[in-house]
Amino acid sequence: MSVRDRARRALQRLVEASATERALISLASLAASILVGAGIVLVAGRTATCEEAAFVLATPRPFGVPELASAGFCYDPVAVFDRLFLGALGDPASPGWDPLNGRMATTLRETAVLVFTGLSVALAFRAGVFNIGTQGQLVVGALATAVAVLWAATFVAGVVGTVVLVPFGVLVGAAFGGLYGAIPGALKAYADANEVVTTIMLNFIASGVALYLVRSVFKDPASPANQTIPLPDHALFPPLLFAPQFGVSILALLFGLLAAGGVFVLLRRTVFGYDLRASGLQPAAAEYGGVDARRTVVASMTLSGALGGIGGAVYVLMVLGKFQTDVPAYGFDGITVAILAGNNPLGVALAAFLFGVLKSGTTVVQFATDVPPQLVGVLRGLIILFVAMPEFFRLLGRRVLPRNRAGGDAVAADGGSEPDGTDSRRGEEP
Amino acid sequence: MIDAPRATVARLVGGRRGTIAGATVAVLVALGALGLLFPASPAGILARAVFAAGTVASALRLSVPIALAALGGIFAEKSGVINIGLEGLLIVAAFAAVYAMDVTDSLVVAFLAGVLASTLLAGLFAVVCIEFRADQIIAGLAVWLIALGLAPFASQVIYEAPNTDSVRTVPTVPELVGSLPSAGDLPVRTDPPTLGVGVLDAVLAVVVGLLGRVVLFVAEVLLASSLSVYLMVLAVVLSWYVLYRTRFGRWVHASGENPKALDTAGVRVDRVRYAAVLLSGVLSGLGGAALSLGLGQFTGNGATMVNGKGFIAIVAYLFGNYNPVGAFLSTLLFAGLQAVQNPLQLADIGVPDPLIRITPFVMVVVVLALVGRTRLPDAAGEHYESGEE
Repeated sequence: MSVRDRARRALQRLVEASATERALISLASLAASILVGAGIVLVAGRTATCEEAAFVLATPRPFGVPELASAGFCYDPVAVFDRLFLGALGDPASPGWDPLNGRMATTLRETAVLVFTGLSVALAFRAGVFNIGTQGQLVVGALATAVAVLWAATFVAGVVGTVVLVPFGVLVGAAFGGLYGAIPGALKAYADANEVVTTIMLNFIASGVALYLVRSVFKDPASPANQTIPLPDHALFPPLLFAPQFGVSILALLFGLLAAGGVFVLLRRTVFGYDLRASGLQPAAAEYGGVDARRTVVASMTLSGALGGIGGAVYVLMVLGKFQTDVPAYGFDGITVAILAGNNPLGVALAAFLFGVLKSGTTVVQFATDVPPQLVGVLRGLIILFVAMPEFFRLLGRRVLPRNRAGGDAVAADGGSEPDGTDSRRGEEP
Repeated sequence: MIDAPRATVARLVGGRRGTIAGATVAVLVALGALGLLFPASPAGILARAVFAAGTVASALRLSVPIALAALGGIFAEKSGVINIGLEGLLIVAAFAAVYAMDVTDSLVVAFLAGVLASTLLAGLFAVVCIEFRADQIIAGLAVWLIALGLAPFASQVIYEAPNTDSVRTVPTVPELVGSLPSAGDLPVRTDPPTLGVGVLDAVLAVVVGLLGRVVLFVAEVLLASSLSVYLMVLAVVLSWYVLYRTRFGRWVHASGENPKALDTAGVRVDRVRYAAVLLSGVLSGLGGAALSLGLGQFTGNGATMVNGKGFIAIVAYLFGNYNPVGAFLSTLLFAGLQAVQNPLQLADIGVPDPLIRITPFVMVVVVLALVGRTRLPDAAGEHYESGEE
């Protein structure tokens, strides 16, 4: 059996696992990642140098036994995770909480971009294609949007301008991101080039070309940074409820939710969606049933790239107001979001919010506790790792619960056992 | 029955591979000829850049992390575990080596620290894939992303910046031995002895002149190379020997191609796979340590200093058809493309810097598109369940 079949089978198992089980695995993965993250924070707190320990672990001293060991840590993991979650929402438990506060705005801003990158990865996954290139597609879409809208903004102004320019920018982003996504799709379909490697390479190529174009063609002469000329306000997503400096728009967020619903309907209710899912699950059967496998790969990668490109457009038209090189790694976050959501488009919306909390929370954490914000990068990988091994949680579950309650049931819940039948039995051996 | 179409595919792939290799050689020969004939033309400048000892030395230097990671990738994938997380292994090793160097100032400890960090992460990957049957591609991506977060995180904690402090670099042989001349001190040409017979002297002048050029060129490359380059060459030879001449090598092959047969022969497939994946950690650890210690710093911004080398390594061994020597040669091709850029920029042949930097990535995509599907080991990517319990 080739790798591809094997990968497809793994995807199939992910897809076929019952929704409850998947949600449980995702939640357990999130919890496990945070636990490991706390461990990393503790270890890091021993290595870092600080004036005063923020957190002290000491052996208990009952009946006046002298203290055996005591270790001071620069970072307090409890405080870290308190800030991470409550901080990201602007302390919802405190009196006088304003749901439109700056932290909440940051969280929703991240969410709005992550919905699109998450959908991009999830859609490709559903078709049995690993699109690791959402980052590159987002960069291409973002740059194209910034340049095209800057050009078009000179023709229209005012409210009419916003109504015309924002959809125009989103369309441009989608078109360029889609074309850039079509390249690895075509390479996979017609030259059999592994899409994991080509998409990663195309990420590097996208940022290199973007850097070149911004430096030498589209550079803002008034700025020392590598960025394009800032777009006028009427060309951006209107902030509506939130204060404009937060860079978040309820409209963009609603657009994201709409996109999630749209992708859901596309996958569930259309012929194309059926073909796409079929090629992801059973490529041989799909082809036998008359699905053109090559066209499906190219089409799904194009669509996936278009979603990544829209993510770039939203980033430019809502967050930044211009294109700047060194785009944050929304594309890689999108992998985590999609995997956390079990590649379900509606789940992506929720997972994007959860990951938005993590991303916005890490900046709060940095202010409050000095723990570097790169922590979210570690969590991003850990979450994927844990979701990738449902077996870990199954084994854990079997060890904790009595055999007749966990064991077989948990396995049966994902649609039976592996074809060779060994899967469900292994963990139960004494 | 299945073997017939597969053999055709293999021949086709081999053909394409041969074509690319042949084309590369042809381009080099043509370039050399043009350079000799028209030294002042752009081709002449390019030829001088390509055939400079400095370029070859820097191609070798740039090859080190890629080639070592590729060797590791060969062991893992041959045994049936596709290790797409090589990039992550390089990243943690690069950081750990610099940190250890900073603390202990010992080259050996620094390399060991890099190897330890990388092998630990590879061990985690192995457990996740072999024990908990995670999908290898997704777990590999997770390894990469974890490292991409962890190394800059650690650097921020320790050095309060994504980039570490500067440390000592890996020495070249003259720097280590002291009594040897350094690369720059070599004479440009050697004077042939004279015999007093006109014709013989002329022949001798040509022969000694040419031979002397070659010897001096090689000597210059060797003297300019750091110990890491020697380490890489040693690793290539050893890997080839282990894979093709030892019992462990045969187990690795069998574990990837026909695990059931290996199991039947009484060898634990999971142990062979663990060993192979850990070995990929050791080799990538050497590569990552050589990378950061070569520059004396770990830089953790963006894609970190590793910057895709782990993924290029994957393409290098696919293009090299899982043969350590083949993987090394294709690495040299990718690295050579990069090495030629410095003299070109000095010669002011104007391709802008950001575009020059992406040439290896473009090359990788082109190669992958041309070579297309490679023949993976039969059981690669698959979990193997031993029947006995």
